[in-house]
Amino acid sequence: MRALFTGALPRTVLTVLLALVMGGVIMQVSGKDALNAYQVLFNSAFGNERALANTLLAATPLIFTGLATLIAFRAGIFNVGVEGSLYVGAFTAAWVGFTFVDLPGVVLIALAFAAGGLVGGLWGLIPGYLKARLRVDEIVTTIMLNYVAIRFTDYLVTGPFFVPGMANAMSAEVTPQAQLPRLVERSQLNLSLVVALVVFLVVAFMLRRTTLGYEVKTIGSNPVFARWIGMPVSRTIMLVMSISGLIGGLAGAGQALGVNYRFVSGFSRGLGFDGIVIALLGRGSPVGVLLSALFLGALRNGASTMEMFTRIPRDLIDIVVALVIFFTAVEIGFNWLRRRRPTPDAVPPPGSAAEPEKEGVRGNA
Amino acid sequence: MPYLELRGIRKTYPGGVLANDDITLSVEQGEIHGLVGENGAGKSTLMKILYGMEQPDHGEILLAGRSLKIANPHAAIQLGIGMVHQHFQLVPNLTVAENIALGAEPRKGLFADQAAMHSRVRALSERFGLQVDPAARVSDLSVGLQQRVEILKMLYRDARLLILDEPSAVLTPQEVESLFSVLRRLVAEGCTAIFITHKLYEIMSICERATVLRRGRVVGSVRTAESSPAEISRLMVGHDVASPQRTPPNANPRDRLVVRALTTGSAHRSTPLDFTIRSGEILGVAGVEGNGQSELIEALLGVRTGVTGDIVLDGTSLSRLNARRRREKGLALIPEDRNREGLSRPMQVWENLASATYYRSARASVLDLGGLQGAARDLIRRFDIRVSSEKSAVSTLSGGNAQKVVIARELAESPAVLIAAQPTRGLDVGAAQFVHEQLLNLRREGVGILLISADLDELLALSDRLIVMFEGRILATFQRDAATRQALGLAMAGRLESEDAP
Repeated sequence: MRALFTGALPRTVLTVLLALVMGGVIMQVSGKDALNAYQVLFNSAFGNERALANTLLAATPLIFTGLATLIAFRAGIFNVGVEGSLYVGAFTAAWVGFTFVDLPGVVLIALAFAAGGLVGGLWGLIPGYLKARLRVDEIVTTIMLNYVAIRFTDYLVTGPFFVPGMANAMSAEVTPQAQLPRLVERSQLNLSLVVALVVFLVVAFMLRRTTLGYEVKTIGSNPVFARWIGMPVSRTIMLVMSISGLIGGLAGAGQALGVNYRFVSGFSRGLGFDGIVIALLGRGSPVGVLLSALFLGALRNGASTMEMFTRIPRDLIDIVVALVIFFTAVEIGFNWLRRRRPTPDAVPPPGSAAEPEKEGVRGNA
Repeated sequence: MPYLELRGIRKTYPGGVLANDDITLSVEQGEIHGLVGENGAGKSTLMKILYGMEQPDHGEILLAGRSLKIANPHAAIQLGIGMVHQHFQLVPNLTVAENIALGAEPRKGLFADQAAMHSRVRALSERFGLQVDPAARVSDLSVGLQQRVEILKMLYRDARLLILDEPSAVLTPQEVESLFSVLRRLVAEGCTAIFITHKLYEIMSICERATVLRRGRVVGSVRTAESSPAEISRLMVGHDVASPQRTPPNANPRDRLVVRALTTGSAHRSTPLDFTIRSGEILGVAGVEGNGQSELIEALLGVRTGVTGDIVLDGTSLSRLNARRRREKGLALIPEDRNREGLSRPMQVWENLASATYYRSARASVLDLGGLQGAARDLIRRFDIRVSSEKSAVSTLSGGNAQKVVIARELAESPAVLIAAQPTRGLDVGAAQFVHEQLLNLRREGVGILLISADLDELLALSDRLIVMFEGRILATFQRDAATRQALGLAMAGRLESEDAP
């Protein structure tokens, strides 16, 4: 485990550096001053308290969705459906927030988060059940259910929960005591970050120390073995998908209660998909997810400020992000290819002479 | 002048594994040359170098006196070198002729010339005495016939030097005999063959000379007529090999595992299986692989759907229990393919050792890490697993040590019944001996053991009784004393003793 971490960290840093350098080259080629751009970007992301707060604000939903994706990846499940969970979770939390207006703030916020998480979890359970019981491929079902979630919540705020007089499709505002308290002045950074950090601790502990984490790891590394040794594979898959959806739901709840104060149709624009990038960049570790979410948050936050002060469009930062994804994917792809090659059964201790026994050699005749 | 000469071949794999160290070998024209050695001795690497799949770091290859560099298998085929792989490389739903000609079809316009293809294949098979119907579909052929197709594929490409990689591993004894007569015919027609094996009696009966490898080096080159199996085995292993010591069978056996009318829902004609394993008994299961053994294992373990019939362990029916509950009742398994079914290679040794029992010591779903790691250290000591720490990844272990991890885990809980499937596959002689001792110890302690193996020697050495599986059913049962290689071989091929041998 430690070897994996020390090996992974330099490679991740290299990936990120490579993307930044390539992005810089692109800026130079298009006639911008790349060094200046990165300086402005850095200052806008970390330069003062407000910049830092806004970076954390941008990172908050990414921490949630990164962790949600991570836990599924660890179990070998390619859950692309965090985006959907986020939408249903956000609407549910907002609904609680504008419906139970008589409840005190603490209770209402807890209830809204719980409801958002619960509905998000149930949303994740659908593809989980289909995969565990009927062996339906989760990539297809989760992608499709994303559309269902996005369209269905859009329908809700244009139909049953339509608020007359609103220009855009959005729900009523949540009652003031349901709006998450802010953590610093002059920034929207709010309590949702604290919830995200709590989720981070819970997930890290769950993966390292609990029977579920152990089962997740085993199923993710060798599902056949997990079944043969008697692990409850189907149950674990459903549980993991529910937890993944639950965390996605919390992400949505945090955005609805802490940033928009209502449900806005189409508000996410891919926060759930960003979770995939973050989980990959974080290389399967919760700490890695935390750092990657911060990094991506800094880029996003810095880019919008940078756009104001330099002539560099934020699209260029999107290119850098895309390059990060690209290099990460390439590297993971290489590892995957390397693993796919027949592995030596016998790796003898150094010094002894023996051949790695390779089976099923291809490529003749 | 020798036909083929390898001089000072040396190959180090990335990671520093010295697979071949200064190997020199010569093969005469028209010879069947044996290449013997344990798993990991360097046989496959050497042949991959000869077939162009690997490049040597040092050394020279001379064919008919000419020094060659063989860049890839295609170049090897051009030079007349053909390899018959242990795992056949055939397209099951094409015909024999199509498989043989694949990639080198005679053409008629845009299409393959079926008539020319068939006649060429027929001519080849008659010339070399390899009877097989060119129009038959490969999926309908027996393993022995599929192997003939593999050989024909090489002859079709004018191979003059044939490399046969463990060709007998998948054959019944009778099929081995017929393979041998094919080889003799090939040699008579001017071919030369290198025969890779670790079975001594095969070397003695088919090869004139044999080269023995151990740990990547040539440790001897013998003329079989002047040598003995004992000498070759000593060369292979480096010391004398003791055969396992059996104690007399249990005087008062009781039934430990009773299987009644078990059907596994496999593609085979589903004939119900009935057998009983008593305490202190090793019931051997012989049979060519793919005759229902895997399905039987899955059915017994409880990881297969569509199973009917009853499985009773020490009086408790297992049929309705899942794999975990069955294990709790005392069932243990050494699986056929340890890397797929028995281990998680990226995970640590202690995690693999704990995988059957981790949940029992957990409190409120929190693992007892200290306890599990301590128990793992005890098992590592008790089973002499060579590993630097219980936190090493299983992927860093040798095949023998990885198998010890499986065995340690399965025996830690004192099982009532152990299913041991191919327990020594891919292990060197020392590790295999360890496994055999463990099985015999369990037998002495009254455990019931189902031993499924493709290795007849292993079955004959250990089993108290033997059953032969053929096409999903139990074709024959032998008491230990009545079981002979010959009788087992016939039954494995689906023929009973009373019927005429071919």
